[in-house]
Amino acid sequence: MATVSVQNLRKVFPGEGRDVVALEDVSFEASGHTFVSIVGPSGCGKSTLLNILAGVETPTEGTADITKDGSRARVGYVFQAPRLLPWRSVMDNMLFVQAEQTDQVRERASRYLAMVGLSEQHKAWPAQLSGGMQQRVGIARAFSIEPDALLMDEPFSHLDAITARGLRRELHSMWMETKKTVLFVTHDVGEAVELSDRIVILEKGGKLRKDLSLDLPFPRDPADDKVALTKAEVLREFEELDLIAT
Amino acid sequence: MDTTASSGSVVRSGRSWFQRTFVTPRAARITAPVLFLVAWQLRLMDRFLGLLFPGRTESALLPTPAEVVEAMWEQLLDGRLLEAFSVSLLRLALGFALALLVGSIVGLAMGLSSRIEAMLHDFVIVGLTFPYLIWGLLVAMWFGYGTIGPVLVVFIAGLPYVILNMSEGVHDVSKELRDMAAAYEIPRDRVMRHLILPSLSPFFFASLRYGLANGWKGLILAEVFAATSGAGWHITSMRDYGDFAGVVGFAIYFALFSIVVERLVFGRLSRRVFRWRPATGRDVSEPPEVAAP
Repeated sequence: MATVSVQNLRKVFPGEGRDVVALEDVSFEASGHTFVSIVGPSGCGKSTLLNILAGVETPTEGTADITKDGSRARVGYVFQAPRLLPWRSVMDNMLFVQAEQTDQVRERASRYLAMVGLSEQHKAWPAQLSGGMQQRVGIARAFSIEPDALLMDEPFSHLDAITARGLRRELHSMWMETKKTVLFVTHDVGEAVELSDRIVILEKGGKLRKDLSLDLPFPRDPADDKVALTKAEVLREFEELDLIAT
Repeated sequence: MDTTASSGSVVRSGRSWFQRTFVTPRAARITAPVLFLVAWQLRLMDRFLGLLFPGRTESALLPTPAEVVEAMWEQLLDGRLLEAFSVSLLRLALGFALALLVGSIVGLAMGLSSRIEAMLHDFVIVGLTFPYLIWGLLVAMWFGYGTIGPVLVVFIAGLPYVILNMSEGVHDVSKELRDMAAAYEIPRDRVMRHLILPSLSPFFFASLRYGLANGWKGLILAEVFAATSGAGWHITSMRDYGDFAGVVGFAIYFALFSIVVERLVFGRLSRRVFRWRPATGRDVSEPPEVAAP
């Protein structure tokens, strides 16, 4: 079971003349089979938080780790853009991130490609796929390393509404099936309410303002009264925090 | 039905004889060189100059196409062409292989280290613009007639293009993809082989194309001053013997050679290496464009 632990995290990017504070004293924990959405306006440090957790960036102060049984956990990362190697086939992109290249690993990669419905495209170049399909490869790639935890940075924000909706359902069923710890960054409150059992709200300046638990049964239909009501409540929180741009 | 037929004929007759022969791109591609050749054969330029300067009595500006073709045929039969090209191509290959090796290493170093880049950048720019004529004269003074001089000029002429392209290539490696590799903790050698080197390949191709082209130009010039064999030397000796048609013939062989290399070597190689590229040319590491929800 993976544990995400963020303690007094601060991140400052040195800027010309004035430093930019991306995260300010952020602390929270999450572990086990949980889906935590991190929401907030753009520029509130959501992506920076994920990058620090993934080890791509280093904290200025504080700590941010994902551990499993005391040691560093294996982490999958789904980015806003698919970030596939354009010169490698879909299958080779899946294999690029694997620790070892055995038949067993290959089989596992095929299984996750099948889960996102892209078995037949395993030989295709990324450029031959639609944006939604490429993003599905990115999702399959993250799951295929069988990570202890999964980081997702607005993975559906570049997709059209219908494709995004389909992928949200796929993601939800994969999360239910694999029981991962998921940290999901989004600026879409509806998406957060539909998918998560917990919502962490960051405000401008990178401070954590609210940590909400959502006690609603899955699957959640956006048209369902309770889901709509919860979404309205979270949006009200946003208004109270003056997070909505006017 | 009547309307379709008549509108069809309107479209056809909408293009005049003149447009069909000269304006459509395909026609122009054939018509232009044919007209050029006819004008050349009729010595129109000479006649025009004769009108402008009535006292002008010198011989023709250029030999006619027929004379040039005859000279080219002779060069082919008597083995001059083969001898000249085989010697020159060997020098080109030697000099450019060196330029590719040294240029790739220096270019990668410049791309990876801003300090090395700051140190060498101006030298590379000077190298890029330094006239081959001066190099040709210098190597003639240093090494006399022989192989070393022309090979060195090929190296010097090709090197800056390789360095510049490779260092640009390193800057161009997508940060997003490198971050992706870092997030997945991909070992360094795999990142090098599957991410960095493939990103560099378009720049490597550009190095090949421009480096070779400029190496060739430098070589011909160097052979004029510092060699007793090769294409450049042959051109000089033909000029010395007043073989005007022979000089033009060689120039045409150069042009044909460059087209053959482009079509048969670079064209095919780049189609194979870049077969993953989208037909539209869209950068696939960028998010796809979709309508807003």
